[in-house]
Amino acid sequence: MSIKDILSPFSAWKKVIKDPVTVKDPFNDRPGAPRYRGFHKNELDKCIGCGACEEICQNAAIDMVPVEGIETVEGDSGLRPMVDYGRCCWCALCVDICSTNSLTLSNEYTWIDSDPDVFRFIPGYDKKEWDNSKLGWTKPKNYDLNTYERVEMKELHPEERDKSFIEFVKGYSKEQAEAEADRCIDCGLCTATCPAHMSIPEYIKAIRNDDMEEGLRIMYETNPLPEICGRICTHKCETVCAIGHKGEPLSIRWLKRYIADQVPESKYKEVLEQGLEITPKSKKVAIIGSGPSGLSAAYYLSRMGYATKIFESLPEAGGMMRYGIPSYRLPYDQIDKDINYILSCGVEIEYNVKIGKDITIEQLEKDYDAVFSGTGLHLGRSTRIPGSEHENVFFATDLLREISLGTEIKVDEKIVVIGGGNVAMDITRSLARLQNQKYGKVDVLATCLEAEDIMPADREEVVEAREEKAIVDPGWGPKDIKIENGKIKGLNVVKCLSVFDDEGRFSPKFDEDKKKFFPAEMVVESIGQGMDLTYIDSIKDKLEFSDRGRIVVNEKYQSSLPWFFVGGDIIKGPDVINGIANGHIAAKGIDEFLNKK
Amino acid sequence: MFSIKEDRSKFPTKKADGTLDIDLDSQKYVKIWQGPNHPGITGNMALELTVSGDEVVQSKTHVGYLYRAFEKLMERRKFIQCFPICIRMCVPEPDINEYLLAASVEELGGIEVPEMAEWLRTLVLEMARVTILLRGVPGQGGTMSLGMGVQWGVYVRDLMLDRFEELTGGRVYHMYIAPGGVRGLLPSGFKDRMEEVLKKVDEFVVDIDNLMFNNAVFKVRTKGVGIIDKDWIDQYSVVGPNARAAGIMRDVRKDYPYLKYDQLDFEPHTETDSDIYARSRVRWHDLQTSVDLIRQIMAKMPEKGEIRAKTPNVLHWKIPKGETYQRIESSRGEYGFYMVTDGSAYPRRINLRGPSYNSAMVLLEKMLVNANISDVSSLMVSLATCPPEIER
Amino acid sequence: MKEILEKIKTKYEVTDVLQKRADLLFFTIDKKMVLDILNYLKELEGFTHLVMLSSVDWLEENKFQLTYIINHPINKHDIAIRVDLNRDEATMDSIHHIWIHAETDQREIKELFGIDFPGSPGVDEDFVLEDWDEIPPMRRDFDTLEYSERTFFPRDGRKTYDTKEYMKSKLYPDDKQ
Repeated sequence: MSIKDILSPFSAWKKVIKDPVTVKDPFNDRPGAPRYRGFHKNELDKCIGCGACEEICQNAAIDMVPVEGIETVEGDSGLRPMVDYGRCCWCALCVDICSTNSLTLSNEYTWIDSDPDVFRFIPGYDKKEWDNSKLGWTKPKNYDLNTYERVEMKELHPEERDKSFIEFVKGYSKEQAEAEADRCIDCGLCTATCPAHMSIPEYIKAIRNDDMEEGLRIMYETNPLPEICGRICTHKCETVCAIGHKGEPLSIRWLKRYIADQVPESKYKEVLEQGLEITPKSKKVAIIGSGPSGLSAAYYLSRMGYATKIFESLPEAGGMMRYGIPSYRLPYDQIDKDINYILSCGVEIEYNVKIGKDITIEQLEKDYDAVFSGTGLHLGRSTRIPGSEHENVFFATDLLREISLGTEIKVDEKIVVIGGGNVAMDITRSLARLQNQKYGKVDVLATCLEAEDIMPADREEVVEAREEKAIVDPGWGPKDIKIENGKIKGLNVVKCLSVFDDEGRFSPKFDEDKKKFFPAEMVVESIGQGMDLTYIDSIKDKLEFSDRGRIVVNEKYQSSLPWFFVGGDIIKGPDVINGIANGHIAAKGIDEFLNKK
Repeated sequence: MFSIKEDRSKFPTKKADGTLDIDLDSQKYVKIWQGPNHPGITGNMALELTVSGDEVVQSKTHVGYLYRAFEKLMERRKFIQCFPICIRMCVPEPDINEYLLAASVEELGGIEVPEMAEWLRTLVLEMARVTILLRGVPGQGGTMSLGMGVQWGVYVRDLMLDRFEELTGGRVYHMYIAPGGVRGLLPSGFKDRMEEVLKKVDEFVVDIDNLMFNNAVFKVRTKGVGIIDKDWIDQYSVVGPNARAAGIMRDVRKDYPYLKYDQLDFEPHTETDSDIYARSRVRWHDLQTSVDLIRQIMAKMPEKGEIRAKTPNVLHWKIPKGETYQRIESSRGEYGFYMVTDGSAYPRRINLRGPSYNSAMVLLEKMLVNANISDVSSLMVSLATCPPEIER
Repeated sequence: MKEILEKIKTKYEVTDVLQKRADLLFFTIDKKMVLDILNYLKELEGFTHLVMLSSVDWLEENKFQLTYIINHPINKHDIAIRVDLNRDEATMDSIHHIWIHAETDQREIKELFGIDFPGSPGVDEDFVLEDWDEIPPMRRDFDTLEYSERTFFPRDGRKTYDTKEYMKSKLYPDDKQ
């Protein structure tokens, strides 16, 4: 102990002359730091109500609630997060996981009220003074709690695939599928958009759990053609995927294919019919056409115990799936896998029978208790431009059907395809392959009214067509086919400025001065398909038709004749998944109808 | 007039089974409770003291006033959801929990954290050490009514919390070291503002030296009081500054270098006396070491870089079956997480071990025997008792 | 580390050896050998620091796992010794005479897991709980959510909607798919 130890503490007196360090009014003078995790803000228009914030909140502080003025539409549940500040701990994980970056925190941190209930509020909807605050916590840069890039799907290289019709998309491996399934946040926005309302998050979960059999069971609840849909579905679900807002949406279609691919055909019965008991019913249903809607209706009716019989005009089942889609996209053995299973469930089928010719519709009405018709769109539609009646002008649907039937079709060295939809791309790419086989080079060009950005075909179809050296030159209106000495020389086109008018009606406008000439020896028209309803000519008077020539049906796809149900492309679509959906609904409608009968 | 010879006749004798023979009805003894709410207690803990005169003859530590079952709650939460909750297991120094959770999850999940994130983690952990020591060092004086130092410390600590606020978005619960990385780079101008705060800490270090450590009263009250015998270090698993005050070098940063500590130049301080003064002095040196470390980190760390490793989707992040033990040097010594996973998206078991678990229970009970009542608080504070880590 | 493991293997039967890190070794040993091996490692091999005694409930396998993590402060490495206990008769020998402070660990495990350590000082006293008449709360079959719903008052008026179900009710309610 020294004298220093007595005196040293008195050095504290030097602080007497220093200014105080406290701030007079901390509430008004001290804003939170720019990154401060204060009160919630939510941009209501940007939010899609996916519920990821609710899912990640470890305090269960967030509820998803309906909000006035926000409609439930495809891709937006209409729900918005409500935060309970009695539970919130301001960890901001909800901000970091938010699918659209709409949810953020402001740097405001004082809020005084005597009513405890006001502290449960809907950010963005219940107006707060910090709603427009620029500062506060947002998702940090380069910091993501999920992966926003797709697992790349391996495909055959264009050089390997452009000569043959073998399937070029290889499918996911187990690791790839699990990595892709891992990106799903289980929000379920996709289910509402899927025409068949498939339980998408549930079967993706089955992939994560590596339980393919469960996955297959889930898929068959709403879709009896998973191998087919897993390859060629128009995947509307992917357009609303919540993950798509910050990056690439999940490859839902490829994941579906992955599940179906993993279960061998021989195990289907065991997997799908475990504990299944069907009480046979005495009533019989006839189904016209074995396309997706017919097969779907037949499958679900047979599950309900009805005796079902399909009448198919062609030698094999599948409709457009077999006769419209090229096998490099959808191989025949995969079509057979799905169809064989449906046929193994007691569905009868008779091939090469045309209703209206071999059997009349009246006969069906007499022999069966109900009839479902899904005859599809098989007739090509013509542009009716001068020269289109030439013998070297074909319809895409006819050519595709003949390729599938194995008939050799005419393939010239220079071909022009008119049309920008998926069918046009199918025929373009098929012809490119045939040209490659025949001449060792590709010279096929596809043109359509729509400009590149609004082409109706799926984007990847266009990209892949180009990879296979076909030319896609969109934005042109066909004027006439130039014919010299009875031979086609090419197609004259003019620039198309717009396709639809302000009200969204089809009314193309052209710039007649901008012209182009596509030389060709053969022209294929693929501007849409029509239906052939001659088989119901005899009952036509008893049916109702819409302005556009479609049969009018109720929500159960029942026509004005109670025993006559109609579905598939001739009602809604055209695509496979809509067909499957309305086949399924019609099956339930038929069940209701027959129960009452 | 006053006898300076202690009258030991009042003290209890041992019974046959080794327990003390304390008969409260004899009126020789009084039972008094220090805590759970007592200004000299470091939180929600109670000491049941049996005193004879002003001397403690028996002490019993009671916990249970703060049990929140965080270890249980974490078993029902996904790994990412554990991160905002694990921090609450040590209130004044939450960052060590964030780091241990992240490090355990990353080790078991096979995640490699980017370089930049490791530097930022090191920085935040040292900032947290400064923050707690700014309260802990003067707090030793506080137990003897020398409150002035505490107020100076709290002021400087507040400036450090400002730096935390701009870096992490929070003042007390920073929630910055998330499994996979950290949640942001340094804001622009951060290093300059940090240097200003460090200068204030330097001033504080001198001030508190003058006020507390060169203070006759403080020295009388702390020197030679509350000695931890060298042999007890192993017997009671004493760690960190408490062990270093006894001349035994225990510092996880040196012994098991984690993050970037192997690239930093520092030497933890040791003392030999092992009394309250020595332990307090070790912490005072630790504070200066940390300030120096922050300066080194800011000079050595890269300007830019990735802050988060690629992890699976955190909403269903499954960790393969496994177990590990991860330790860190907290301001009180070795602090560790034992984590067991079972291959699901939830931890099977997370068990935390903090230094207070031993020192505030068995060791403190032993040390308080024969202590003066007025020394109870300072003895407890000198062990850096933190009740929340005893009962998680 | 390898040498120690080899030495242990000559004396004791160890299973499930896991070298987690260069300085962290896990292995399982029979319940009866634990005191013996801990004494040996502490007194002869220099593992003087008991880091922690922890327990894990493997409900599905009907067993408790006790983990003794011990540390060698000079050579700077750890050994974690696992012991499996039958869940139905969960008792274990106390180690408080090897490390005095282990009595706290054992008291806590007794209360939160219901594993008894006969002879450990104060093992039957309340640690953090008071008047607890449920099953030990850290056991896996104790449901915290169910307990809190039964014991505390939920806040009125909270209701959340499932995205998928809500969209169904709004967009395709009739379709009972």
